[in-house]
Amino acid sequence: MKKTYAYIISLLVLISTGDIIAQKPAAVEPHEGNIMAPKPAAAEPPDTVVIPLAIRAGIDIAGPVIYLTDKNNLTSEGYLSVDLNEKRSLFFGGGYSNYKYSQYNYNYHTNGVFFRAGVDFNLLKPLTSMGKYWAGVGLHYGISVFTYEIPELSSENYWGTTTTSVSSQSHWGHFAELTPGFRAELLGNLSLGWTVSLRKMIYSGGSKDTRPIYIPGYGLSAKAFSAGINYFLVWNFRYKKINVVIKKEPPEEPDEDVTPQTNSGSGNNQKMEP
Amino acid sequence: MRSSRNLFIASILAGFFLLAYSCSPGACFDETTAFMKASLYSDSTGNLTAPDSLSSWGAGMDTSKIYTAQKSLKQALFPLDASSESCSFVIQINDVYDTLTAWYSTYPHLISKECGYTFYHNIDSLNATNHKIVRISVTKNSITTLSEENIRIYY
Repeated sequence: MKKTYAYIISLLVLISTGDIIAQKPAAVEPHEGNIMAPKPAAAEPPDTVVIPLAIRAGIDIAGPVIYLTDKNNLTSEGYLSVDLNEKRSLFFGGGYSNYKYSQYNYNYHTNGVFFRAGVDFNLLKPLTSMGKYWAGVGLHYGISVFTYEIPELSSENYWGTTTTSVSSQSHWGHFAELTPGFRAELLGNLSLGWTVSLRKMIYSGGSKDTRPIYIPGYGLSAKAFSAGINYFLVWNFRYKKINVVIKKEPPEEPDEDVTPQTNSGSGNNQKMEP
Repeated sequence: MRSSRNLFIASILAGFFLLAYSCSPGACFDETTAFMKASLYSDSTGNLTAPDSLSSWGAGMDTSKIYTAQKSLKQALFPLDASSESCSFVIQINDVYDTLTAWYSTYPHLISKECGYTFYHNIDSLNATNHKIVRISVTKNSITTLSEENIRIYY
């Protein structure tokens, strides 16, 4: 439930962020002496904007930070993305995970590699993003190849304590993920951003009785959905520039239904001028 | 540009908040012992009927009772020995003693990350003396933590 809340909060942050940024260029700046004066032509947004397309290489810094506080959970991952245009990017990611868990009646250990591929969508307007800012969502498919073992498990009841173990087993896991997030260029070709991952298990491998607790790349497998967060440090290698046409919103047309009768007393067909 | 940068910083902080919030540990609220669940039936009426008194303990475990002169008990829960392929229970119904023996296989089962593992069983066969018990039957040979009847004891 907490992870669901975290996901919802993240979505709200994402939506509000994108909305505020997207509205900024359209804001009307008041002019001295005449607040309704038309904007000068120089202040209008251009018809086209040059957007640099880039190949991006990112590494996750959240995994190593978590490892500093929890030595039983190491996840290292990174990604490569290629901009197709100002809105869409191809995404390829991968990583390694080593997870250990112990409590009063069992020890669990899993490690393996995982791969993700999919498409990222930038929801910002080109004039706002300028190839530097990204606020959007990714749709990815993930595959995990992992082994797990239970070196010791015990259970206690009326007859006493019984102890056994489950030897190492190799399995494949499949999952899909939705990754809303945010990324911004800090300086030069360096960007920083985060994504929240909401993952849906498709196939977890293992028998139903000794199914894996943790699947590299997916997380805890007990629930049908898993949530996680990544902080990425990203290097951008620009390879191309494209001109993107800015769609201008049509100006509001004056209300032609205004009739002389509605302007009682004047007798003239008046229009509300800005 | 300044507004965008402030929003970016705000979003980074929000991300740290989410990261910290998503690492909270859970707790175990599930049943963790798989009992063989035996419903008690009157052989004369065929109805689920609680005996006047029921006591039970594992064979060789006289000092550790599972039930002691229990009244109004319609379903008895018998824990099986996971380290053995069979175990026996002495069942005292209305001051008459019988011995119930079960043969079974055992395998580990993950309940949850928080609760860990327990042992499930599959009943291979059952046997009982017939001093008070008239007959026994297996209704579900898979013994799990679910609330499902496994055997019926007619007395």
